[in-house]
Amino acid sequence: MISVYMKYKDYDIENFISDEFFVQWVKNPSENNRHFWEKWLEQHPDKRFVVYEAANFIRSINYNINPDLPDKVYVDMYENILKFDEAKPVNKAGRNSGGFFYLFPVKSIAASILLMFCLWIQYEAINFRTENEEEIQIAIISKSNPVGQKSIIDLPDGSRVHLNSESEIEFPASFSEDKRWVTLKGEAFFEIQKESRPFYVESGLTSIHVMGTTFNVNQSENGSLYVALVTGKVRVNSKEGEEVDLEPKEMLVIEQSGTYYKTGFDPLDIIAWKDKTLVFKSASLREIKSKLEKWYGVQVEFKGVFDNNWTYSGIYEDEMLENVLRGICLTSGMKFSIENKKITITNPK
Amino acid sequence: MINNPKPPQLESKMVNLLGHSESIKFYESKSDLEIWRAFDKGDEFAFNYLYRTYVVRMFKYGCQICRDESLIQDCIQNIFIDLRRKRGGLNEVLSIKSYLFKILYREIIRKLNSSKSTIHHGNDIIENSFSIEFSHEMKLIHEENMEEKRELLRSALEKLTPKQRQAILLLYEEGMSYKEISVAMEFSEVKSARKIVYRALSSLKEILVRK
Repeated sequence: MISVYMKYKDYDIENFISDEFFVQWVKNPSENNRHFWEKWLEQHPDKRFVVYEAANFIRSINYNINPDLPDKVYVDMYENILKFDEAKPVNKAGRNSGGFFYLFPVKSIAASILLMFCLWIQYEAINFRTENEEEIQIAIISKSNPVGQKSIIDLPDGSRVHLNSESEIEFPASFSEDKRWVTLKGEAFFEIQKESRPFYVESGLTSIHVMGTTFNVNQSENGSLYVALVTGKVRVNSKEGEEVDLEPKEMLVIEQSGTYYKTGFDPLDIIAWKDKTLVFKSASLREIKSKLEKWYGVQVEFKGVFDNNWTYSGIYEDEMLENVLRGICLTSGMKFSIENKKITITNPK
Repeated sequence: MINNPKPPQLESKMVNLLGHSESIKFYESKSDLEIWRAFDKGDEFAFNYLYRTYVVRMFKYGCQICRDESLIQDCIQNIFIDLRRKRGGLNEVLSIKSYLFKILYREIIRKLNSSKSTIHHGNDIIENSFSIEFSHEMKLIHEENMEEKRELLRSALEKLTPKQRQAILLLYEEGMSYKEISVAMEFSEVKSARKIVYRALSSLKEILVRK
């Protein structure tokens, strides 16, 4: 065993990234490799940075082309394969000559789909033209993030949007001469370019009017809308016609019932997410669960008896999930295990 | 060879493709060799398992070689039809994924070469195969050099040969071992798979260790 532990301690990044056992741990963590690498990291804390850099590098390399196999093709192919051996029993002579026939179904389906698509496009094009000449000029761009993923989107006017996970934004491919707008579901941090055209964020029934500013909008799952202003000035209009101006460091909370109030906010709580910083501030087990699930796109389950008064505080900057879990468990004596996207946290006490 | 090995007849051969996970549950814990033997014996559940487990991965892999999605679909269909026909006399397979990747690669190249329309573009296709995306998520320690470093890595990755890119992607995207890579890429020795990866990474090494 000792010799195995020795071997990796002299590793530099290029050794890690070409070591298949290390790559396996990063790509397909299993009981065995996880056990080894966690033990190893405990003994070589000085290697942590190199290990994380190597893991990040491995994760950064992906297929450039990522097509989906349509469900219809998936099912049709299966059927074709099974039907084929009914149609042609084992026949060695037929193996080569059969070539052209058995690829016929996929091709013909593709061709008929293409034909239908062309007809539809033509139909749509004709209809649009006659109805509204101007509408078709403006394409609407829609960007959305699944759970566990964040992105940065540059708008046509140079403004920038940090879009949180499980969120969606829509905006025109080019803004009109008198108005800039986006619609938002979920949470985003905006850095709006200052210019003469007003900028509107539409979120649910609320419209936020901005000039040039940085602020965070969160349409939370509980139905409330949080608008937190960092710099500049924004005016929030509800659909009922109410109007509230916000100053920097103020946050407006609009509850589902329509009642609203202003409050201060801790930037660490509200906007750290855009810098990939995960913050737990006296977080309960429930908060930890929901934050981890949203941040990493995993499922978290607690097993065993836990102290309801226990809370956890910690800040993680762009960390791997394993490391965050290790941090949480280190101070609390809890244990965790990861299986695919399922995390189980247990309390052995 | 008068009696062709007949697979056991199931009531319906469609074995409820979607939304039915018996084959997955049953075969999940089995080794590749056991699954392959069962398939060879004509077990329809084993075929169902193979299809469900590997077809989407094969499709994605195939699209790295050639972007004609319907050609890839044809190739996958042909491969399974062919394998089913040869049941009863299949060779043993220790790593199903790398074996299927190997025959898929062969089938795609065969098809590209045989179709006249692409004969002049065949080499271009191979030249552009296995394009790597270097995602911007990567965070390196020295922030100020991050952008520059990323660009250097990106352009270094672009300079790799198609074979090097293929090996790197099998390792990092597919999570294959060197043994599996050597099967998928038809190297006679595992050493060759290691060599091709080491050589590819050595050109990135300088950039990676630069502070």
